[in-house]
Amino acid sequence: MVSSEKPLLSVQGLTVTFDGFTAVSELSFDLFEGQTLAIVGESGSGKSVTALSIMRLVTLGTRAKIAEGELNFRMPDGSIIDLVKADEAQMRDIRGNQISMIFQEPLTSLNPVYTTGNQVIEAIRLHQDLDKEQAHQRALEVFQRVRIPEPEERLKEYPHQMSGGMRQRVMIAMALSCDPTVLIADEPTTALDVTIQAQILGLMRTLQNETGAAVIMITHDMGVVAEVADDIVVMRNSKLVETGTVYEVFEDPKEPYTKALLASIPRLGSMTGKSRPELFDLVEMEPGA
Amino acid sequence: MGDPTVFGIEQKSESFEPSAVDESRLRKPPPKYPGLRMFRRNKAAVFGAILLIVILFITFVLPLFFDGERTERVGGIHLAPGAEGSTMFGTDYLGRDVGRIVMEGGSATLKVAGLAALVIVGLGTTIGALAGYYGGWVDNVLMRITEFFQVLPGLLFAIVIVALYGASTKTIVLAIGLIAWPTIARLVRAEFLRQKNLEYVKAARAIGANDARIIFKTIMPNTLPVVIVQSTLVMGSAILFEAGLAFLGLSNPKDLSWGFYIGANRNYFLSNWWGVTFPGLMIFFTVLSLSLIGDGLQDAVNPKLRGR
Repeated sequence: MVSSEKPLLSVQGLTVTFDGFTAVSELSFDLFEGQTLAIVGESGSGKSVTALSIMRLVTLGTRAKIAEGELNFRMPDGSIIDLVKADEAQMRDIRGNQISMIFQEPLTSLNPVYTTGNQVIEAIRLHQDLDKEQAHQRALEVFQRVRIPEPEERLKEYPHQMSGGMRQRVMIAMALSCDPTVLIADEPTTALDVTIQAQILGLMRTLQNETGAAVIMITHDMGVVAEVADDIVVMRNSKLVETGTVYEVFEDPKEPYTKALLASIPRLGSMTGKSRPELFDLVEMEPGA
Repeated sequence: MGDPTVFGIEQKSESFEPSAVDESRLRKPPPKYPGLRMFRRNKAAVFGAILLIVILFITFVLPLFFDGERTERVGGIHLAPGAEGSTMFGTDYLGRDVGRIVMEGGSATLKVAGLAALVIVGLGTTIGALAGYYGGWVDNVLMRITEFFQVLPGLLFAIVIVALYGASTKTIVLAIGLIAWPTIARLVRAEFLRQKNLEYVKAARAIGANDARIIFKTIMPNTLPVVIVQSTLVMGSAILFEAGLAFLGLSNPKDLSWGFYIGANRNYFLSNWWGVTFPGLMIFFTVLSLSLIGDGLQDAVNPKLRGR
């Protein structure tokens, strides 16, 4: 990335604690316009907490606290807001409008009692001064943009009438409905099967090219990282392990943990010439090593 | 030109022609009103619904076909049903027609019970929602208040209120409302506790919805099934409470409601059984119909029981 460019979102020394337990510790990274940043790490490494902290959703209804750090976000008008210090009204205005989020479970992240169209229209009208008819038109547009077939009919359907992949498309449509500058995707493909995963990842990349939004992709799947990301942040035990462009990190991982993470994916063809599948060595890592 | 081959397999060109659409294999539209279907399948609930319709008809429509005041004297006192000079349901200690008084007495009972149910559901859902959603000290304070009302001896509390503030419809409704809301509040609180951490609530926050919106537009509709079921049951108990208060004389005597009429006739009931039996049966059937309906609604709104 061009270092002279001003970052869209600059995370500086972010520390999040739950009742004294540190979930994220002194994490720093920058996100630029149009960039896809992957945060990878095992379960409990603090990657989801990082995402929720950027949305400031982590402190709601939990005992979590953003103990330290700055989340400097550049608004479209050029002013810089520290999301840690912003008040709740400001945050509500930013959520969905500037920074959107896609969740892991498309099956449960839509409200079962409303039609999908209704939910997208509500999201649009929260941030944009549109009447019902205009909002409906806009919802139809975003449904078309996320390549939902028969969008007009789909708008009238309830979530339970849709497949998982289709629901994730609706979620993406909802997230994109107000043209956010940052899209946070928290394991968007984990709950989907492999072919749908590829579809959704392809779709997200296309949409990113179309809208120019920056994407933070949270995942534990190195295959997904290689597929979509420009840059990568490797996390473990709440700390940043390694960061760099995907090429640098995949080509020449510096840290032993990154090497282990990369080695954990079986290679296609690694069993060629063998009469039957063989066990391969598990990587043993001491905690904190 | 022969048929094309793919991977050495000859592709018959006629096989590409679309065959006639087999209608039976097309996706059928989902059945409409699955809830209504489930409700109809519950025979007891259908019976309850019919019973309630009959009771509402007797109470609100039938009186329109009669002239004069129901409190007018129609014959001798304590005449048994069907006796000479008597009416179909007999006469009471003042020579009034028991049938007509009971017929119209339901309107007061049902009005009070309906309004009380509204108070109960309104108060219960609001307090339950706030407690469940905000948790912490809000939950603590609201739940202690709920428990306070729950441990109060209900009828006694209502009697005290009505005795203090007079037996108007307003005070009776409020008295019944105040003693019965905790059940709904606890139920709604439990639903909110369960639902507030679900992904779709998180998603609603992530698009920038505020607390009021999340409580009333996002979560509340999802709790409606339990609330609707519970409110039919609550209505049944509100009728019993109203009847109990009226029996003790704590109601507007001009209404001549079922409970009040039983109370008025109780001195004579060893010789005049019809004076207490008919209003009693009306109360019994009304409460029965409501709880049967509640039971059927439980089936109708619970998707897990569908297709059983």
